[in-house]
Amino acid sequence: MLYIWGMKIENTKAQMRKGLLELCVMSIISKKEAYPSDILDELKEAHLIVVEGTLYPLLSRLKNAGFLSYEWQESQSGPPRKYYHLTPEGEKFVRELTGAWENLKQSVEQTIPIYEKDN
Amino acid sequence: MKKTININLGGHPITIDEDAFEVLDQYLARIDNYFAQSEGREEIVHDIETRIAELFLKEMKGQHIVSVKEVQQVIEIMGVPEDFGGDRANTKSDFEGESKDDSYRRESRGSQPHRTTKRLFRDPSDKVIGGVASGLAAYLGIQDPVWMRIIFVLLFFTTGVGLLVYIIMWIIVPKAKTASDRLAMRGAPINVESIAHNVEEEVNEFGEKVRKFGRDMKSKYGSKKS
Repeated sequence: MLYIWGMKIENTKAQMRKGLLELCVMSIISKKEAYPSDILDELKEAHLIVVEGTLYPLLSRLKNAGFLSYEWQESQSGPPRKYYHLTPEGEKFVRELTGAWENLKQSVEQTIPIYEKDN
Repeated sequence: MKKTININLGGHPITIDEDAFEVLDQYLARIDNYFAQSEGREEIVHDIETRIAELFLKEMKGQHIVSVKEVQQVIEIMGVPEDFGGDRANTKSDFEGESKDDSYRRESRGSQPHRTTKRLFRDPSDKVIGGVASGLAAYLGIQDPVWMRIIFVLLFFTTGVGLLVYIIMWIIVPKAKTASDRLAMRGAPINVESIAHNVEEEVNEFGEKVRKFGRDMKSKYGSKKS
């Protein structure tokens, strides 16, 4: 029973993260052009990603949608690296998503009892 | 003693042993297969390869040869494609809300054929003479190869062909050399987990054999002395 409950909660948490991962990845890139491994370090530090493989299809998808672009940069150790940056469209997308997140956060906090006391 | 292979993994030169290579190769094939319909498939696989190479180099500081242990660690970090969050990076329609065909995808993914065909091999890990009987037992799904051996012996004494059949099979049936051969011999599905499991089993078995050999030598040597 406990095991099933554990699976369910993990699943729900994963769904929550999944929805916001896009915004987080793009926000990281918006601060400074980024190499995927650096993005992973930041996501892992914030506990936003569990398996690293998740990032790569996401980047590819955002790139194909025209929100991201990358350029190759030489590296001292190993082959050239891809550094991602936001396209103007991507920047607009991040702004809109950030606004949506703010609204969502407020709505959610309104419904969860522990936040109600604070307000 | 193990053979090592030099590979180019996402632009990094990596030296890897044969068993580890097989596990890694299966893992990458699985990812490649998973993204087969995706627009950025080659790029995704290449970038993942680069990351895996980085993780190897980070873990070993350019000293050793990559073994199954490192590959398993890296697979744990990267995750299996089914855990990548259902994100197959396909089309723009993915952006317009939840995709409708999610359940369909899951289904089609589940039924993706892993190679499970059984093949006849000689089993060098469980042999009395050439491993023919144990290989045949594995092929026929007989738990204990001793029954196969009894049949061969009976065939020899009753009709005399037992020995001939055995020798012919010894010559023409290939020996199960690699981890995937051994899995094909038993008809187990060939995927990352099963190979890793198989290799692990073998390592344990080998340790047991060494210990047994040690004990045998000890008792032999000890009895001679006394």
